Amino acid sequence: MAKKKLPLLDADGNEITVVKQNTSKIAKNVVYYVCGAVMSLFFLFPLIYMLAYSTKTEAAIAESAGTLGMFLPDFSNLGAAFDNYKKVLVDYDVAKYALNSVRYAIISIVLNVIINGLAGYVLAKFRIPGKRFFTFIILFLIVVPVETSIIPLFIVVKQMLGLNGAATILGIVFPAAISVFNMFLFMQFFQGIPKDYEEAARIDGAGNLKIFFKIILPLSKPIVATVAVFCFIGVWNDYLWPSLLLTNNQDLMPVQAALTIIQQDTELSAGAKMASLVVTSIPIFIVYVAAQKYIVQGFGTAGLKV
Amino acid sequence: MGTISILIFAVFLAVFLGVVTYDLYKSKKNGTNFRIKNCVVGFLMVAPAVLLTFLFILLPMLFSLGYAFTDFNQMRPDEVNFVGFNNFKEIFREIGAGGDMLSALKNTAIFVVGVVPLQILLALGLALFCNRKVRGVAIFKVCFFAPVVISLTVTSYLWVTILSPEADGLLNSFLALFGIPEQDFLSNPDTAMLWIVIISAWQGCGYQMLIFLSGLTNIRSDLYEAARLDGANAWYRFIHITVPGLKSSVLYITITVFIGACRIMVQPMLMIGPYPEGWTLSYYMYMQGTEYSLVGKSSAIALLMTIFIGLVTFIQKKVLGEKKSG
Repeated sequence: MAKKKLPLLDADGNEITVVKQNTSKIAKNVVYYVCGAVMSLFFLFPLIYMLAYSTKTEAAIAESAGTLGMFLPDFSNLGAAFDNYKKVLVDYDVAKYALNSVRYAIISIVLNVIINGLAGYVLAKFRIPGKRFFTFIILFLIVVPVETSIIPLFIVVKQMLGLNGAATILGIVFPAAISVFNMFLFMQFFQGIPKDYEEAARIDGAGNLKIFFKIILPLSKPIVATVAVFCFIGVWNDYLWPSLLLTNNQDLMPVQAALTIIQQDTELSAGAKMASLVVTSIPIFIVYVAAQKYIVQGFGTAGLKV
Repeated sequence: MGTISILIFAVFLAVFLGVVTYDLYKSKKNGTNFRIKNCVVGFLMVAPAVLLTFLFILLPMLFSLGYAFTDFNQMRPDEVNFVGFNNFKEIFREIGAGGDMLSALKNTAIFVVGVVPLQILLALGLALFCNRKVRGVAIFKVCFFAPVVISLTVTSYLWVTILSPEADGLLNSFLALFGIPEQDFLSNPDTAMLWIVIISAWQGCGYQMLIFLSGLTNIRSDLYEAARLDGANAWYRFIHITVPGLKSSVLYITITVFIGACRIMVQPMLMIGPYPEGWTLSYYMYMQGTEYSLVGKSSAIALLMTIFIGLVTFIQKKVLGEKKSG
């Protein structure tokens, strides 16, 4: 920035002023940033509104209507904010449901990486008969839209496998853990790992599982992280399947399913209901900001291969 | 049902064993033998994935396919009769009679026609906006993508509050500044679906923006420089370099957004409810299978949807794919 520029000279040796060009460039930049800020506001204003709303009492909400105060928290009465949050977290057990969600997400992530990773490993590195059959089924299931079979899935889990009571959790975790798309991702990534690594380990006497866990997975940190992040977001945000499966089992509900029950509660104030939405969004936001790199990476590797 | 699934598994196993013996036979012929230890270990390692895929993906799909031709009712699960195409006849009769099925079809059509172009154009605009090497772009990207990670339940309830028919709702109090009387946006059949289109595009377009951005970075920058040297203006460069360079992203995005749009369900479910202006195909299918226990009819709707989505995807691939090579 501080570097001194040589003056530009025209044909007669007079200095040319470049100030005008600079100001137009600055003006262009200012326009760019203002546009960006306005567009960002378009995406963020509902979330700002949500945050502000969650700190207010019903009276304060009515009072701020039609003013900019709708987007600002009620600083004059911070006790109300505390009450709203305490009510949903403690009295309405949102903390407990959130913990359920975290548990399901962690189990799903671990299973997801191990099960799909092992399958991808075999498809990438092993010579076994029937391999093309597996690959064909994977590609077929990626292409065919399967999301419409939620009710038969319910019948399989509840009636055929008989997963009731605490075992219902398996019905939440397994469908979230199995993903043909992730198998495909792992397969593609593992194909890029040179054979030398495995062979060196094999000479040292390592078995297949040891090679997978000690060599292949550590070499695949980016893809593991991407899969884990998307799995977390998926499990945390999933609403329909858990609420169908756990209709009569409210204690086991993950947070999104419980949220619909809380929202329909007529005794809870509007501000407190909004606080429950904020509480539900905060963990996913933390994960999003912390794992941004892997989310973007996911698009680089996954987005365009299909 | 247990016996049927065992039967399906047996067929699955038979096909698999057939493929394996074929592969073994071929390898014998070529003289490239498989190592038995390797095979056993390999099969054991894919076994969990195969088992879970079979149970939680393949089996429900096949069940859904089968139920579509039966009168399976959750109220009397022991009495399942094969009814041929009766479920489909019933669905088309309901469409003809202007029942809920027609509203579901109409609302889904409105949603798809509205959201696919809106979301893709928004995403493309955002991607072009963010595709510069300027300080601070990363922050814009974070903001644009933020609604994507929030759950559908949260955004649905949040927008219900924003669009509240009361005078203190955000949009109504904003309109009141211009002297417009209070509106009930989500109960009005003319506007309900349009709001869901807008909200979905608002929430979803950050996702497609990132895919477009990774497509944009793959376009060689020397093409732009060459065009600039040749005196091509910005519009010309966009049409002749950016658009062809984004073909594969456009294909992928159109297909995924289209499929996602056809499945629209949670937003109308939480924001409007089971009224004619709120039915969509997925929502109607879900309610038929759960509230009304008519799994047969529900599966028939699912099958029709799957066929339709598959067909349109195929056509999109043909149309957009051909342009790419031409």
